[in-house]
Amino acid sequence: MTVVAKAHDKKPKETGQAVEPVAYGLLALAWFVPGLGHWVLGKKTRAVVFASVITAGFITGLVLGGELGVPKVENPFSWLATFAGMGNGVLYLVRLLWLNGLGGLFSGLPLGLVGGGDPVGAGFIYGKTFLITAGLMNYLAVLDVSDIARGVKE
Amino acid sequence: MDHFLLLIWHALLISVFFAFLWRNDASGRRRLFLKTFLIMVVGGFLVGWLMFPFP
Repeated sequence: MTVVAKAHDKKPKETGQAVEPVAYGLLALAWFVPGLGHWVLGKKTRAVVFASVITAGFITGLVLGGELGVPKVENPFSWLATFAGMGNGVLYLVRLLWLNGLGGLFSGLPLGLVGGGDPVGAGFIYGKTFLITAGLMNYLAVLDVSDIARGVKE
Repeated sequence: MDHFLLLIWHALLISVFFAFLWRNDASGRRRLFLKTFLIMVVGGFLVGWLMFPFP
């Protein structure tokens, strides 16, 4: 069986087309405000959808009483949850500021931060799952912005 | 708190996200959305049902 590759499926590197360098400022913007990177690139429908989905996931996580990912001494996996949660950008930072206050935010870094949520609450794990999922989706959106900006993807 | 509703809401958000991330045309997005949504909801329901006998 012969596999025929379509020309438009090939990456620019394979076709000899130049790949644009990564605009780090744009990626930072896309991370900080979910959907803004796509908006700047003119992908407005995608921007609105991504912003809505990520924000809805984040808010659902908070309403359910989920814990925001913060590093903990006794739990090495909490660093992964922190990384995932940080994907929410400004939403993560505002919530962290809300919980810890400005003073607590700086004095508590990195292992004394409070993540909120009610550990005995029914929605604790579900809420955390929503918060983590929203952050990871935003990371994927940032990678998508990178691909679009470099001309690898439409 | 209805766990099944949360499952549906979670699946809905993720399906919409990936439909717009991976497809550019409306029909492709619709198809991918339906596929991922159904896989997550039905799959989640089945896994939950299979886990039911376990403590």
